[in-house]
Amino acid sequence: MNKKWKRDDLIVRSLADSYLPIALILGFYVILHGNISPGGGFQGGVLAASGVLLLYLGYGFRGIATALNMERMHKLEAIGAIAYVLFAMLGIFAGYNFCRNILFDSGNIGDVWSSGTIALMNYSVGFKVLTGVGFLLLLVIALLATESGHEHDGTISTTEHEELERRKGE
Amino acid sequence: MTYDVYMHFPVIAIMTLFVGAFLVTLVGKKETARNIIAGAAVLISLTLLALLVKPVFVDGQIIAYWMGNWEPVEGYAIGIAIEIDALSLFFGLLVAIAVALSCFYSFRYIKQDDARGSFFTLYLMLGGGVMGIVLSGDLFNIYVMLEVMTFAAVGLTAFRTWNPNAREAAFKYLVVGSIGSTSALLGTALVYAQCHTLNLAQISAILPGNMNPTMVLAFALLFAGFGCKSFMFPFHPIAADAHGAAPSSVSVLISGVFTKTGVYGIIRVSYFLFRTMGLTSMQTMLVFIGCVSMFVCVTMALNQHDFKRLLAFHSISQIGYILTSLGLCTALGIAGGLYHAINHTLFKGLLFLTAGSVLYATGTTYLEKLGGLARKMPKTTILFLVGAFSISGIPPFNGFYSKWMIYQASFEKAAETGSIGYGLVTVICVVTSVLTLASFVKVGHSVFFGQLRPELENAKDPPLGMRIPMWIMAALCLLTGLFPNIMLDYAIYPATNAVYDTVPYIDAAMGSGYAAEHLLSTTPFVAQLRTFIGAWNPISWLLLFIIVLAAIFFVSVSGKGGRGRALEPDAKHAVFFGGEEAEYSHISGGDLFWGFKHTMRHYLGFMSRVHTGVTNDYVLWGVTALAAIIAYCFAFML
Repeated sequence: MNKKWKRDDLIVRSLADSYLPIALILGFYVILHGNISPGGGFQGGVLAASGVLLLYLGYGFRGIATALNMERMHKLEAIGAIAYVLFAMLGIFAGYNFCRNILFDSGNIGDVWSSGTIALMNYSVGFKVLTGVGFLLLLVIALLATESGHEHDGTISTTEHEELERRKGE
Repeated sequence: MTYDVYMHFPVIAIMTLFVGAFLVTLVGKKETARNIIAGAAVLISLTLLALLVKPVFVDGQIIAYWMGNWEPVEGYAIGIAIEIDALSLFFGLLVAIAVALSCFYSFRYIKQDDARGSFFTLYLMLGGGVMGIVLSGDLFNIYVMLEVMTFAAVGLTAFRTWNPNAREAAFKYLVVGSIGSTSALLGTALVYAQCHTLNLAQISAILPGNMNPTMVLAFALLFAGFGCKSFMFPFHPIAADAHGAAPSSVSVLISGVFTKTGVYGIIRVSYFLFRTMGLTSMQTMLVFIGCVSMFVCVTMALNQHDFKRLLAFHSISQIGYILTSLGLCTALGIAGGLYHAINHTLFKGLLFLTAGSVLYATGTTYLEKLGGLARKMPKTTILFLVGAFSISGIPPFNGFYSKWMIYQASFEKAAETGSIGYGLVTVICVVTSVLTLASFVKVGHSVFFGQLRPELENAKDPPLGMRIPMWIMAALCLLTGLFPNIMLDYAIYPATNAVYDTVPYIDAAMGSGYAAEHLLSTTPFVAQLRTFIGAWNPISWLLLFIIVLAAIFFVSVSGKGGRGRALEPDAKHAVFFGGEEAEYSHISGGDLFWGFKHTMRHYLGFMSRVHTGVTNDYVLWGVTALAAIIAYCFAFML
């Protein structure tokens, strides 16, 4: 790792500040309109999850550790997956097959809310990918943080890392 | 099309496992809740598939289930299908049984490990992926599930991360497994480009007879891809590493279930999609690969010093039996192969679980460090003996029956074609069986019998929670051997019929008459089943077995040594009578067959040298095999 890298760089931080909302809005836009336009839950989820990286670039390990909870993110991912299956199961409850789109003739064609449960399934996928990719990025960053790469208990040990950095500096 | 309620069962059986996997993540560190969720998921899945036995096996229905009701339009299957014929259900049941039993075993077995939550998530993912493969009716979904299954299996192989071997094995598995996944994906893409559909039923209607060079390439890629997943010959060394390092309950899945998806894929590809199985060249290739896997792996197994690595090589050897038998392309051969598939899942599962119990009790599976455990772990010993008898084909147990069918099928094939090669196949099958027995004598001798090692004084039988799944597996081993006719009538023959008669499968999905319209010939290329020879009365064999057992028991009771009591540390019982303490000597434990090994030292030494354990070498083998299969297919199938 390059020791001259300064994590408190003002330019990087302010750029991260300004790009973070854009990344999130773009990501959520793609997720929300995934059912009627190109893109979809997966693509939008990955776009939004890039916010984690921006946060890391701007605020370092400490910023991520204070803003995000890895364990919770992991559980939210599971909720996204379960939600997808439940929405797909609605088809069976409605008397059709698994994954059957019900309520699909609601709203005008081209509206966001015009595709029935497909939209809901798409949002679940978006949520799952957002949290899943976010969790993956956090995992990678956490592994970087602990340097030796073993024994992480789901939390990011920023203090340990900074301690190491400080000692190296001295 | 009317939908009965059982139409929904297959998809729910798959989804239950996946939802279970995510729910396990959700409950986090709560042990009881996690066990309840995992147990409920596997049991629901098993029950739903068991309920399908009546409509599919008995009534002969084929369930074609279209996701989101996207049924075929004008003869084109645009939707994603789940299609259950007898073959799918047969493999599905086999998967569900192994997944359920092994899951209950893991509750106790995993207790000492950390990261137990991730274990069940990955475990249920692996189960769901395998279930998805065998129940799916869509080529691309099969590929996706193949990837889910492979990555879950890689993760589980590396589960004990403190063990460097586990990480290395997982890496090898990942790299070599990727060869299989990639070639399966490439084959799928080529099929889609040519047929404009991914539905298995539609492809198997329009593809056979229209073989062009692209399709030959696609066939070779798909065959090698699924072959890699079944760990057939050149891909076998990764299996040994993975089994040696993975937790035993995962080995059950990798050996009993994971490899079966490869077999299932090969059946689907060569009997259904391309119908190349009628070609002599294809039969020769499959039989050749099967025989080589069988023989090479059983000799490698003789050479092993680790319980689980030995079992791993045996597992590939038994897969060799199944592939050989399927490659014979006779009804009896297919039936024997399928029967051996379920038997292999049962007895190899049992053996891996006993190996796990030995590891649980002693902390090692290294044969030289074990010995005399029968005194300390009598229940595990009995279970091991059941498994060993089954795999070696001792009469009242199930291995005998399926092996008998395979011998007979290959012999009949030799008589039919007049080729000496198939006669040789029978010989190889029998020799392999003998060597299997020999290596299990070695394992039994060095782990359970002989003198008890002093440091194993505290070993004891595993807790009840681990024994019950093993007893169930042992009971199933005995039952499938004792009542082969019930098995054959209700499971094997329907599945066999499904393999060689593809017309109902196509018609169920695409509407009746579709097969007749598109297929060049709707007559199956396999002759109907004939009755098979051999006086076989399981009950009388069981009586004989009990009598022999009673005789051994009588002799051992009336002997002076007492019933299994350890020798007292008393000078008059000691080996040497000189006054000094008897020294422990592990006389024959590790190398019972040293004479045989010495005679065969050139061959065995060569085999050990070739299995270098280097990932690059194994990748080279895999790629060479892929290239060889492609070249062979172009040379003989076009």
